[in-house]
Amino acid sequence: MNAAITLWNKQMSKLSGEETFGLLIQPILWVVLFGVGMKGIMGSAVAGGEDYIAFMAPGIVALSALGGAIAGGSVWLDERMRGIVKEYLVAPIPRLSILLGNTLTIVTKSLFQAIVIFIVGVLMGAQLASNPIGWIGGIVLVAGYSLGFAGIALAVASKVEDSGAYHALIFLLNLPLLFLSNALYPLSSLPQWMQIGARLNPTTYVVDGIRQMVLQNGDMLAGGDMIPLWQCFAAITLFAIAGMWFAYTAFRSAVR
Amino acid sequence: MNMTKPAVEARQLVKRYGEITAVVGVDLTIQPNSIYALLGPNGAGKTTTISMLTTLIQPTEGSATIAGYDVVKQADQVRRQIGVTFQETVLDDALTGRQVMTYHGRLYGMSKAQRQTKTDELLALVELDDAADRAVRTYSGGMKRRLELARGLMTDPKVLFLDEPTLGLDPQNRAKIWDYIQDLKRRNGLTLLLTTHYMDEAQQLADCVGIIDGGRIIAEGAPRNLIDQMGSDAITVSGYGNRDGFLSRIDELPFVQSVTTAETITQLAVDSGNRRLAEVVTLANQSDFTIEDISVAKPSLADVFLKYTGRELRDH
Repeated sequence: MNAAITLWNKQMSKLSGEETFGLLIQPILWVVLFGVGMKGIMGSAVAGGEDYIAFMAPGIVALSALGGAIAGGSVWLDERMRGIVKEYLVAPIPRLSILLGNTLTIVTKSLFQAIVIFIVGVLMGAQLASNPIGWIGGIVLVAGYSLGFAGIALAVASKVEDSGAYHALIFLLNLPLLFLSNALYPLSSLPQWMQIGARLNPTTYVVDGIRQMVLQNGDMLAGGDMIPLWQCFAAITLFAIAGMWFAYTAFRSAVR
Repeated sequence: MNMTKPAVEARQLVKRYGEITAVVGVDLTIQPNSIYALLGPNGAGKTTTISMLTTLIQPTEGSATIAGYDVVKQADQVRRQIGVTFQETVLDDALTGRQVMTYHGRLYGMSKAQRQTKTDELLALVELDDAADRAVRTYSGGMKRRLELARGLMTDPKVLFLDEPTLGLDPQNRAKIWDYIQDLKRRNGLTLLLTTHYMDEAQQLADCVGIIDGGRIIAEGAPRNLIDQMGSDAITVSGYGNRDGFLSRIDELPFVQSVTTAETITQLAVDSGNRRLAEVVTLANQSDFTIEDISVAKPSLADVFLKYTGRELRDH
């Protein structure tokens, strides 16, 4: 555990000014530009009226978590390719702590981004739920979602031999995960086949759960057909476990 | 019988990658507080051998111990005994020199006070104290190498592995690294295993040299002893014409102790080079062999390598 924390600490301390700026500015641009731009046409389509910024904020949280996992995976890939990982491998530390350190880093950054997004959302007029327990529930969901994708990204990064293959594989996932979900539009507005796809997408569960727990009138935002909260937590828990298991097996074969 | 455990002991280490056998069967015994140099060309199996000894990869066959601990069964204890620098520079560019040291110490569970003392001491040793708080990406190649050396020493290892410690360095930086290495052995009672393809490096530094080629150690001994086998002087001849005729006649000369031939050059171990030069030239003329280049030198490890492999070991 000490080793995992050391590696986490090392990664976090490497956060440069530019990278922190990037972590902040990207989700902010989404909320401000995309949110405001879409508000006009989407406002009437979203249950609850004008509040499209609040509606889409959870989607941007998910998108940022996904981006963070991809970036974290490429850090690990880079350490493998450049041989930095050998410094860890000759050290008397459990192999698993290397994976754990990387995962912790990804989740930390995602949570940081999620909080920033909600602060911006609130500044832009979204209203938070009055019950802070819901906020914590939202944070747990984001952490689980981030764990799942951290696992997938780290697994792929453990297997591939160059960054081209990594990005090709990862970007294949990126867009469908965003668009084949309820992140940008209500589930009920989608055709049947897309609804089925969205139901298989963990993004849908994290977005729906956050809407219901973190935002004021979240149940209305989520549309008539919101997913029961227990299902959100169950789906995200399963996803997190599956992702980590995937990473664990890929990682074991990569570092032995 | 010497009862102290060898610092490094390998028995018939073999490493196969599918069809390719990178290390064919290496036996190695390194006494504590000595410097051992594995000398060989690229691809000879040096790095693979080091990787097995430092627990990075597992041997296919054979066994090895570091300070008495088995590299497979007691990998964790082995890791506590060793410091390693790798052939390629593996440093995190975004960190400062001091951070590199600190995080390394933390991985090994060193306390904050220990880390600070050790970092200051070692960065001063490798003369990086002024650059300690600068990002590593601003370092020159030599500075990075020195930082890695310091990092390898951070945890007070019993055995320090240095894979090509001076690769790609200019002569000035190489000389500096050599100084540190010799100094370390004196001060800390450290055992060092280094690999190199630089003859002069092995000759300068090592108490014992193992010449490795084609995945096995083909000659081993103190540099002086290895060189002494080569006669007191070496005459190196290259040219064209009837080389076979020249060779058959030269072999019969009483003062020629041994003849080594490689692709284009012929090397003669003789009792006294300057005195015999004229005789060799005369004989070449008589055998229709035209000499393009001839030189006399004290033999070096390069000549030992040539003798055992029939190939020149070129510095890349």
